[in-house]
Amino acid sequence: MASSIYFCDTKGKTILSRRYRDDVPASAIERFPALLLEAEHESSIIPPCLTHNDVQYLFVQHNDIYVLTMSRSLSVNVAQIFSFLYKLIAVLEEYVKTVEEESIRDNFVIIYELLDEMLDYGIPQITETKMLKQYITQKSFKLIKSAKKSKNVVRPPSQLTKSVSWRPEGIVYKKNEAFLDVVESINMLISANGQVLRSEILGKVRVKSHLSGMPDLKLGLNDKGIFSSDNSADKPGESTGKRANIELEDLKFHQCVRLSKFENEKIITFIPPDGDFELMNYRLSLPIKPLIWCDAKIQVHSQSRIEIHCRAKAQIKKKSTANSVEILIPVPEDADSPKFRYSHGSLKYVPEKNAILWKIKSFTGGKEYSFAAQLGLPSMSDVDVPKVKRPIQVKFQIPYFTTSGIQVRYLKVHEPKLQYQSYPWVRYITESGDDYTIRTA
Amino acid sequence: MSDQRIFSRYKAYEIRAELQQGNVKKHRASAAKRKNALKKIIANITMGFSSEMLDLFPDVLEFWRIDDNMEVKRICHQYLVAMASTKSNHFEDALRLVVGDLTSGSERLQTLALRTLAAVPLDPYADECHKAVRTILQKSSNSEKLKKTALYAILKLLNYDTTRASPLLELLYDTLSNHREGPAVRANALFILNEIQETTPMLQNFSVDFDTCADMLELLAKLNEWDSARVLDSLTGSYVPHSHSDAHHFIEKSVSQLQHNNTSVVLNAFKFVLYLTKYVDYLTERLLKQLSGSMVSLLNKPAELQFLVLRNIILLLLGKEKPVLTIDISYFFVEFNDPIYIKDTKLEILYLLAKEDNLSQILQELKEYATDIDIQMSRKAIRAIGNLTVKLEQSADECIALLIELLDFEVEYIVQEIVSVFKNVLRRYPERYELCLEKLVRFTDWVQEPESRGSMIWIITQNYSHLPNYLELFQLFANNFLDEVLEVQFVILGSAVRLFTRNPTPVTEKLCVDILKNATERIDDPDLRDRAFVYWRLLSFAQNGQNGNIGMDAAREIIDGTLPPIALNTQLDPQIVEELELNIGTIASIYLKPVNQVFRLNKPKSLPDSPALNENREPLTIIAGDSRSRSSSFIADSIQPEFRRQSSSPVKKMDDYDKPAETINPLKDRRKSSSPSLHLSRKPSMLARKLSLRRPFA
Repeated sequence: MASSIYFCDTKGKTILSRRYRDDVPASAIERFPALLLEAEHESSIIPPCLTHNDVQYLFVQHNDIYVLTMSRSLSVNVAQIFSFLYKLIAVLEEYVKTVEEESIRDNFVIIYELLDEMLDYGIPQITETKMLKQYITQKSFKLIKSAKKSKNVVRPPSQLTKSVSWRPEGIVYKKNEAFLDVVESINMLISANGQVLRSEILGKVRVKSHLSGMPDLKLGLNDKGIFSSDNSADKPGESTGKRANIELEDLKFHQCVRLSKFENEKIITFIPPDGDFELMNYRLSLPIKPLIWCDAKIQVHSQSRIEIHCRAKAQIKKKSTANSVEILIPVPEDADSPKFRYSHGSLKYVPEKNAILWKIKSFTGGKEYSFAAQLGLPSMSDVDVPKVKRPIQVKFQIPYFTTSGIQVRYLKVHEPKLQYQSYPWVRYITESGDDYTIRTA
Repeated sequence: MSDQRIFSRYKAYEIRAELQQGNVKKHRASAAKRKNALKKIIANITMGFSSEMLDLFPDVLEFWRIDDNMEVKRICHQYLVAMASTKSNHFEDALRLVVGDLTSGSERLQTLALRTLAAVPLDPYADECHKAVRTILQKSSNSEKLKKTALYAILKLLNYDTTRASPLLELLYDTLSNHREGPAVRANALFILNEIQETTPMLQNFSVDFDTCADMLELLAKLNEWDSARVLDSLTGSYVPHSHSDAHHFIEKSVSQLQHNNTSVVLNAFKFVLYLTKYVDYLTERLLKQLSGSMVSLLNKPAELQFLVLRNIILLLLGKEKPVLTIDISYFFVEFNDPIYIKDTKLEILYLLAKEDNLSQILQELKEYATDIDIQMSRKAIRAIGNLTVKLEQSADECIALLIELLDFEVEYIVQEIVSVFKNVLRRYPERYELCLEKLVRFTDWVQEPESRGSMIWIITQNYSHLPNYLELFQLFANNFLDEVLEVQFVILGSAVRLFTRNPTPVTEKLCVDILKNATERIDDPDLRDRAFVYWRLLSFAQNGQNGNIGMDAAREIIDGTLPPIALNTQLDPQIVEELELNIGTIASIYLKPVNQVFRLNKPKSLPDSPALNENREPLTIIAGDSRSRSSSFIADSIQPEFRRQSSSPVKKMDDYDKPAETINPLKDRRKSSSPSLHLSRKPSMLARKLSLRRPFA
């Protein structure tokens, strides 16, 4: 698949590289900085794949580095390569915290080892950090001690040969706990006149598992798809519950979930990897009203000043509270001398973003706040009327609340050998997604 | 940390000194120092000073011999692989050490040694590797990991010496069919067989039978995510269903994989299911819903993956009269934070999805983008509106109204872009929008870019009868003839001649002669000059009437013949689509090019023949719900009319004149090189090129 993998700095110069096949000449990487420059020069945008001399350059950007793979074949599986590169970055983050130029240089030996384990002949292999950590210990100097102790070279763990490739055996916890986080991000696009153009809920269930042995877990949700088919036979009490069952779309599961079992019986069962992982995610595109509604009237008196009147309302239950609400309202470039009047939160002009940032630490449901702002505009300006077409962006977090109404009904932990008691914990949170925006007129 | 110093250039003797410094074995401090020195070697190789590091070969070998530390071993192996190209004679000594590691009890060392054996392209190494691969694969007690490494080694050996390694293929077949092997081993054997079939001339008739396919799908649950993706990928094309029911069976088996969290598993499962749908007699509505849903949920992945998915959606939309996917257009609305390549692709999808019934929504969006702060985006949006006008005849009025509305913004680049797109609009609907002309020609002074200038001239010439002051307008351009860029000069020349033939008055004659004179006497470009000569000669022939064959009418016919109507072709050749669909998730799907068009080495894929194959590729019946009974078999159109593409009569071909109107991206450099008489004889490839990524973001 991938012929080689490179870590490059912002200019495209190699920091570290590993070649798996010889079909791409070693000199091909030298073209990469030039190609980046060319792409940038031509259109100021760089697509994630470039071609030169029949060599495919596929890369993702992360912090100040490019992670690049090269391949010669046009039928190379890009899906696999991009997914792998993201996985690789995630794994490296577990080892070196932030993946950036410096940390890569500092840890190049470990990274080489990781690359050896994760790819064989350019083909992705194990990418579960827990499994990799058995092969490659955290810091190289730790290895010296173990080498002193055992004359024999460390035996490899036998777990890789087991059918559960993501969980080693022999994990022991004093207290057996499983933490479930149900996180829903709301993406919303609202037109200037308040009409919701698009809304969707992206949910995920994150699990932190501190469980001993090889536990088998069974998760019950109030999803219609999951419950309707087993006819609540095993849970007769549930069907009369007050909460309506909801229907989730596009469920996606971690590799540990038995997909065929879910497909046939609609039961989510799995042997979890140890530690943190994302069990499942889902998407719902039901129309929802804006949780944080915001209406800004922006009046531009060209060449003198701009006036902004903004109202925001938390359209959530009275009991709920939205935390760390941030509303970013765009203003023209070169605005100056801001004057604000506001009742709640803090208001700040952020010149580097050309925007006003309104922060409200806690925003109780049903409340409505507002502010008025006035900024001066330079009297001399270009002939063109300054156009502000950037949208208002809103960020927030609402704890103890899911917009979709999804509920965890039960999480059963069954470890056949150890038979211990375990404690499942569940938290819910709703937050703004990457795109919660309101267009300005 | 001292690692920082590791990453700087060292001379060989410096490192050697460090290596020998603490040669007292078993001393912890010196071991650390030694390791540090070894790391420096690797760092220096990374930085490209391998020739300097070659001198250290004997030293590295020495430590290999005495040190048992795994990390040291690893560095030594790495050193060996990095030095492989030098073919130094130290490799003979090294071979013994590698074989020593291979026979050691440790699985990790064995794996490492086997990889090294396969990676060094020297005959003695290959010999050892052959032996090792055989023994490892035949011994059932070996671990899965080691066996996997052995399988990959086969691939490497094949690349090294194809004929020698070909007996190993038997081994692969045995492994694949051996039920006692571990799941990952069998899966990888399948993958490697498929890989060999795709990249080498061997194994032409490799295929998987029903039982193996069923086996493999059973194994999916036990495989890690990457292996699952590979299995699904390999089965596509290599397993051929022999009856409709086989295909149905496997669709059901693999559909659950669409819910995997790993994008590559989902895309490969999608590919496999789509492939199987070519072999069934009907589809269930539920399946289509699942397929669409799986694609939509991938749109929330990181940008690069999202991009790949969007390109694949384009591919699926291009392919069918009636696309497999039914995705609400709102998913393709451009978000403020999207990288530009995503925005661009989304715009293309919006254009492809536009139909009479969702047009107003799409136009509303396009209007937003057209007044966007980003000039590129704005231009592309306008171009898309223009193309929609051409594409959707019944809604042309609505589109035109929007264009005129945008024109009133009187922003320079918007005006230019609108003028450029209006050429095609007016050509498509010659007599319908004369009212707009007045408005357009008001902006004659505004157009600066070659394309919009050319377009303006063309509009004026073509509609001169509606413009009382056309000569005045044309003169504006004609006076500037010598200073224009070549592209515009061509248009002026053509227009001047046409104006004269249409309306032969002394004024137009003078105009025409002036241009011809300038073009023949003062222009350096041979193409332009030659064309001017041709026109001139033609006209003088016709006027003098020396030759009875060419009269004025005939000349007019040559110069100003009726243009063939513009038709948009938003569909690729079915053959190419078929091939691309087998390549979902690959680079080919991003560039939308058939694989072998770029790389001759890669074989084109095609649907294998089978009695179950839906030969004529007619739309399949879609059955509502899950029921397998075909009691109520109605055509998909009646269920979901809004998702049906406007299938205008047989696709008209436009194989002359400019570029096809649907290109959203102006391909600047291309256009220059292609003379106006560009001949699009191979239309599909042309479209593929338009949609290609070479310069999509111009």
